[in-house]
Amino acid sequence: MWLYLVRRLFLAVAIVVLAVTLLFVMIHAVPGDPAAIILGPRATPELKAALHAKMGLDDPLPVQILTFFADVVRGDMGTDVFTQRPVSRIVLGQLPFTITLILTSIAWAALVAIPLGCYSAIRRNTMIDKVTGVLSVGTIAIPSFVMALYALLIFAVLLKWLPAIGAGQGGLWDAIRHLILPALAVGIGWVGYISRIVRASMLEILGENHVRMARAFGLPERRIVFRYALPLAILPTVTVLGVGMAHLLSAAVFAEVVFARPGIGGLIVTAVNTRNYPIVMGTVLVTTGLFVISTTIADLVNAMLDPRVRESL
Amino acid sequence: MTDGKSTTDISLGRRRFMQAGAAVGAGIMANGMPLGQAIWAAEGKVLRARSYADINKLDPGFYQNAYNVDVMNCIYSKLIKYKPGREWGWELQAAEEIEQVDPTHIRFRLRKGIMFTGGYGEMTAEDVKFSFERIIEHDSPVKGDWGPLDHVEVEDDYTGVIVLKKPFVPLWNITLPYGCGHIVSKKAVMEKTGDGGDFGMEPPCFSGPYVIDEWKPDQEVILTRNPEWTGPKPGFDKIRVLKIEDPKTGETAYQAGDIDFTHITLSSMDRFKSDPPEDTVIEDHPSLYYIYLGMNQDHPKLQDINVRRAVQWAVNVPQLLDAGYFGQAEVATGFVAPGLTGHREKALIPPEGDLDKARDYLKKAGAEGLSLNLDVLNETPLKTMAEMMQAQLSQIGVNLEVSVQDPGSFWTIGMESEGDRWKKMQAIIQRFSMVPDPYYATTFFTCEQVGVWNWERFCNERFDELNAEAVTVNDPEKRSKMYHEMQDLLENSGCYRFLTHGGSPLMYRKTKLKSATRPDGRPLFRDFEPV
Repeated sequence: MWLYLVRRLFLAVAIVVLAVTLLFVMIHAVPGDPAAIILGPRATPELKAALHAKMGLDDPLPVQILTFFADVVRGDMGTDVFTQRPVSRIVLGQLPFTITLILTSIAWAALVAIPLGCYSAIRRNTMIDKVTGVLSVGTIAIPSFVMALYALLIFAVLLKWLPAIGAGQGGLWDAIRHLILPALAVGIGWVGYISRIVRASMLEILGENHVRMARAFGLPERRIVFRYALPLAILPTVTVLGVGMAHLLSAAVFAEVVFARPGIGGLIVTAVNTRNYPIVMGTVLVTTGLFVISTTIADLVNAMLDPRVRESL
Repeated sequence: MTDGKSTTDISLGRRRFMQAGAAVGAGIMANGMPLGQAIWAAEGKVLRARSYADINKLDPGFYQNAYNVDVMNCIYSKLIKYKPGREWGWELQAAEEIEQVDPTHIRFRLRKGIMFTGGYGEMTAEDVKFSFERIIEHDSPVKGDWGPLDHVEVEDDYTGVIVLKKPFVPLWNITLPYGCGHIVSKKAVMEKTGDGGDFGMEPPCFSGPYVIDEWKPDQEVILTRNPEWTGPKPGFDKIRVLKIEDPKTGETAYQAGDIDFTHITLSSMDRFKSDPPEDTVIEDHPSLYYIYLGMNQDHPKLQDINVRRAVQWAVNVPQLLDAGYFGQAEVATGFVAPGLTGHREKALIPPEGDLDKARDYLKKAGAEGLSLNLDVLNETPLKTMAEMMQAQLSQIGVNLEVSVQDPGSFWTIGMESEGDRWKKMQAIIQRFSMVPDPYYATTFFTCEQVGVWNWERFCNERFDELNAEAVTVNDPEKRSKMYHEMQDLLENSGCYRFLTHGGSPLMYRKTKLKSATRPDGRPLFRDFEPV
């Protein structure tokens, strides 16, 4: 297990370096001059040149990449060209909002979807299974932003039960109230998706020999489902949840725009539009790191649950 | 000694709660105040308004973007400020009096007792001198706002004279009442920066009726009353300027009651006018922005003026505006918006164009079957207009390919400093922001600006002469004529087809506030009053 852990962590670091390098090259390949955007129409060529030099944009690209990684190792992600604040402070200031949104969304989706998937598998081909199936496919098919807009119109505008924008003024209850609608919109598609995976996986496991054997021994059905079937059926779901973090990060972008919530998604969109390279790189580094951490954790959980996985790397 | 029942016993049973609630309710009703307003009064007067972007610069000498100036207006003072209302004008703020002594000298006298926070003392003429001169000395990107400023002479603690190298009329319209006109404390800024340069997002002190209480990046900036403020008391105890980038989200937030003031999109205006949210005032304001179709006259396909004229005449502007702005935007007659000196009553080419004339021009150029590329920013109204333009030009046999660009890419297309893209640029739907002086519209189309911001590469000696001279002319009528001529020259070059200035509608809750805006709808939060 330790060897697996070391190998997996090494791979994780390699993925982060590769992804960040690729994105660095890509963002510099598209046209656009941050100095022109930052300084506005009245900037003189001298001012633009000075800003280029300050941002290190005159250096060759490989030098810029190496400088970036060297600075990151020293704990310096650069400075925001607009506000002159450290990028690390800006990104880490926004990160909790995005993580809270993602974790809440995935948590409520999993809490609803896993029992739903199990129930559908146990009550296979009943009316409840069929209704659940239709609803699941429905939630997968409806784009999250459509859900977001309807949720806003119903719960914020029409009923005025929940706030429409922001992350709250402080206090746990206020933060929760501001989180409900975005989390609902981001997570709802995952309810259908996870429940379908759990159902399919459960059906497969419930048909296997060890489950039939347990039934032959007369074990109670509840014990068979929760003790022998679900732990195995949950494995693909764990992997999907890990990979799903990346999907949720992109879903967070729309949620942060529609609900005017602070977060990494909104930050990266604005930064790309204004060619604010330090912020782009900082957010890319953090989001790639998040993605790699979540998939690594999913792999480690899988490896713990299923020893065969450890041999696969 | 007590009898065991403390006088501070405040346990509240259900019955007592109901009684107390009824008494409070009755009191409020007897006072003639609706419950919502009673709660509003109890909360303190808080203004909640939308801004489309988060603040990112609070040094007025190096200001960028109007959303920063909206906040600066509240935390600093200027000699003069824009007068709220429907007509452009200014009124005194920190100055007790100000006069144009001669074309290059402006004498001002400060009001006494305007204090800087943090113990930096009273505002003096020396602070005014420092605030204005540092913009030139430190080569600020906005030093152009100060035009030919030479220096400021200090006569005594409160009196000074702004000395210009040559006359500069826009000073009264875009410099003194706007970003560069804010006054900072010399002592505080020198302490903070060492050399008097840009202090970015960390103001060392304030001189307005509000101070920054809290800035939550990417969320909101909260302003509270300045306890050291000695001027007229501002209406609100607190101002929360919330960053809501998407205008439609702003509309939803307003409807949900999360904010009380927001701009609305032109596409929503009809809906809100016919079915306004409760207690809401909807105001329509003309915008200063200018949106036009530009053509690069140096591109081989567009070098023949007849080709450019063909495109000009093929474009039916009202049709474009119907598609892009749901018919809510007015046709532009030039770069200068209505209400400003230099606005033309009508353009040389009628808004509807003329397809026959367009075909004639195309035939004269021998360019039938022409194919052109049109660059456009990725914003819905502009994209829609580009698509409509595509259909219109197809009527004269011109094939228009629309190329949608993100802001980062779009804003450098025509810049020579950014490689060779300017050579490939053919046509563009361009949108420039504007301040309330025609100088700002024309100054980007001089020969000097070719390949900088003049992407159509229009260059005309007479235009440059007029542009230089018009800033020195005080007589509005004479000045107006000069800008008319300049816009005629632009239009006659075939490089430009003026489309619209857009619009700047807004809404606010009349039970909460009385808004105060510039004629273009830009909020002057400092002058907002609670109801």
